[in-house]
Amino acid sequence: MTEALLQVSCISKRFGGLKALSDVSLTVNAGEIVGLIGPNGAGKTTLFSTLVGLHKPDSGTITLDGRELVGLKPHKIAAAGMIKTFQNVALFLDSSVLDNVLTGGLLRHSVEDARDLARRCLERVGISAISDKLARDLSFPERARVEVARALCTQPRVLLLDEAMAALNHVEMDEFMRLLRQLREEGLTLIVVEHHMRAIMSLCERLVVLNFGQLIATGTPAQVSHDPAVVQAYLGRSAA
Amino acid sequence: MAVVQAILDGLMIGGVYAVISIGLTLVFGVMGIVNFAQAEFLMLGMFVAYYAWAWLGLDPLLAAPLAFAVVFVLGAALQHLLIRRVLKAPEVAQIFLTVGLLIVMENAALLMFGSGFKSVSTPYQTASLQLGPLFVSVPYLAAFLMSVASGLVLWLFMKLSWFGKAMRATAQDPMAAKLLGINSDRMHMLAFALGVGLTAFGGAVILPYLTASPTVGGQFVVLMFTVVVLGGLGSVAGAVVGGFAVGIIQSLSGLAFPIQLQNLVLFVVFIGVLAFRPKGLLGAAR
Amino acid sequence: MSRLSPMRLILIAVLLAAAIALPFAFDPRGYAIRILCLALLFGAMAQAWNIVAGLANQVSLGHAAFFGIGAYTSTLLLIHFGISPWLGMIAGAVLGGLAALLISLPTMRLRGHYFALATLAFGEVMRVIANSWGGLTGGPVGISVPFAPSSLAMLQFKETRPYYWLMLAALIAVTAIFVAIRKSRLGYRLRAIKENVDAAEVIGIDTTRTKIIAAVLSGGLTACLGTLYAQFQYFFDPDTVFGVGSISVRVAMIAIVGGIGTAIGPILGAFFVIPLEEFANQIFSAQAAGLSQLVFGVLLVVVILVEPRGFVAMGQRLARRFRREDRS
Repeated sequence: MTEALLQVSCISKRFGGLKALSDVSLTVNAGEIVGLIGPNGAGKTTLFSTLVGLHKPDSGTITLDGRELVGLKPHKIAAAGMIKTFQNVALFLDSSVLDNVLTGGLLRHSVEDARDLARRCLERVGISAISDKLARDLSFPERARVEVARALCTQPRVLLLDEAMAALNHVEMDEFMRLLRQLREEGLTLIVVEHHMRAIMSLCERLVVLNFGQLIATGTPAQVSHDPAVVQAYLGRSAA
Repeated sequence: MAVVQAILDGLMIGGVYAVISIGLTLVFGVMGIVNFAQAEFLMLGMFVAYYAWAWLGLDPLLAAPLAFAVVFVLGAALQHLLIRRVLKAPEVAQIFLTVGLLIVMENAALLMFGSGFKSVSTPYQTASLQLGPLFVSVPYLAAFLMSVASGLVLWLFMKLSWFGKAMRATAQDPMAAKLLGINSDRMHMLAFALGVGLTAFGGAVILPYLTASPTVGGQFVVLMFTVVVLGGLGSVAGAVVGGFAVGIIQSLSGLAFPIQLQNLVLFVVFIGVLAFRPKGLLGAAR
Repeated sequence: MSRLSPMRLILIAVLLAAAIALPFAFDPRGYAIRILCLALLFGAMAQAWNIVAGLANQVSLGHAAFFGIGAYTSTLLLIHFGISPWLGMIAGAVLGGLAALLISLPTMRLRGHYFALATLAFGEVMRVIANSWGGLTGGPVGISVPFAPSSLAMLQFKETRPYYWLMLAALIAVTAIFVAIRKSRLGYRLRAIKENVDAAEVIGIDTTRTKIIAAVLSGGLTACLGTLYAQFQYFFDPDTVFGVGSISVRVAMIAIVGGIGTAIGPILGAFFVIPLEEFANQIFSAQAAGLSQLVFGVLLVVVILVEPRGFVAMGQRLARRFRREDRS
């Protein structure tokens, strides 16, 4: 029996009259790659933001390795080992790529050590060639990869990726998935929001489906894709 | 009874504070600029009214529309020549452009008008009305009534005229306003001109009981910001509430503290509101 | 860029030697050397301001609060207890740091205009307190530093030259601290906060604490410079050392005119603004008060409109243009 690393129970979050998350519960085991899917506006990004402490849930608990995270500031949650990337990519635009990634490494290291670590992270993500460029001058897919490298540089235990593959071409995407699998082999736990079904089906052993802020299904890709509620959620949208 | 009297006095000056601060909040609401030089336009309004009195024998209350008109034109020009150029610049640039404008205006006034204090004399200067046990000073009452009147005119303008509606639309959603064919540049010019004009109007109506000097603006900078921050930066209704609140706070603290420390009370309220309710006391829902 | 090339080291050494030798070119009791002293001092203050405003983009309009605290603390300790201004400077730095902490705790969440407004009010609070608490500060009439024989121990000199070297040392020290911070973890964290606060938090930066540390350092250093100012001027009053125009805005303006966020900017700004201001005072003061201040304000407006990143950015643009012409 594997130990649950991340335990989310009955999380709810309201914004004014809108219920963004209602009673979402979720268990993620160490070393898993979990795919989080759902139609636009289902609450995937809100869930990520809540997990890392950018939003405080109205109710519910989140524990990482037995430690309660609700009420902690984002930097404490980062220190505990959970990091997310931003859907629209949030880099330090006037800094170089290396400095962006290095800043992530400062969580656990001195500037010099963080710089070495940052170089290794850039290499792993395959963007060493652009390490001296300003973040502002990068293309969108490059920026997304810099953000992943920066997140890795904090040496997380759980990494939440919010559409990090959005703008990649097929070759880049295959490369990126190879990297994610490799990271998983090294003990990293991943939750991935992604719209590319092909990618998510081949990458994840388990999928979690959100719709209108509610968790409507969880299971293997095969199970989920035949789940009537899931089919309804997606078809209902595309038929509308 | 002293407390009731103080509240009444507070309401009187609060009405003026509301009007001079509406300009500040209007500019922020429409353009997102905090005008650190706003109080200098109050000083200008005072001087326009002073010279109208000294040269033309016009009562400051009657000169107030003139002060409004002169400063309105100046404001439109400043918006077009200076402010417009930093609307998309970093905040540091926005802050220091208006700080620079403050320095320029204060010292230009010093050169033009001299450093002396100037005051007018009016027949009603020392008159007061008695309401039972309470007293109302006539110049304060007159300034209050003029302020209320100008506030009402502004409100009607914003509510009924096409310009007013277009300006509110620009404040709420610049993109949508643009699609409706509203020229945002012209709206910004109107908002800035109107904003500084109103402040100058307020400056003119207080001249019967205050002296004008090039540095008079300094007394009003933090006061005006307290008013607008209390009500929520960008909210005109908030500035009205904030104006009365500041007037009452000021006159109540006058019962307990010497005059210098009254300002201290105001500053502490200001910092407290910024720290704990930066969107203003009314701004929770926004 | 992180390692200094031999050329740069030589250049810096030459500049330093020239700066140390410079006072010998002037009348030791003259007016010019006093202006140089003020330029050095205000350069150091702008550099201290630069730590919060330049690195973290928290634009303070209230640094006079810390400056005045430094000036009054050392002077009052000297008057009442005969304590050396060096110790007074340390006490002032502690109080200045505490004041920075006090104002930072409630305002650090504020950004941009809101932060500027809150700090502006804080500076004014200190000015009002100093003016009204006459029993402690002497009130609006001001306060004099008691005379002592020339000595480094009592930080008082008959000649102006020793002050020049002290101010030079202060400018170098604050600049060195600024550069060290910029290269350190704190510097990277501040820059992250400046560029994207949410991202900074999410990757593990305690943004509140980081900003407070920077504010306390900046406030403490500014207080030290207040002590130097008091010892240099012998006399000061609340409206001068706690003034918005005389200190808070002037210091910010020096950094902005030179180049906010750069190490050289505040120095360039100080050596442009302070002599210009004195020069303008000399020419115009007979005709009209206010003209030199007017020049000052116009300069600020022009710099903001032409290049809000100051002389440093203008210089870089010029250099780029020359290089392009060289190639063609």
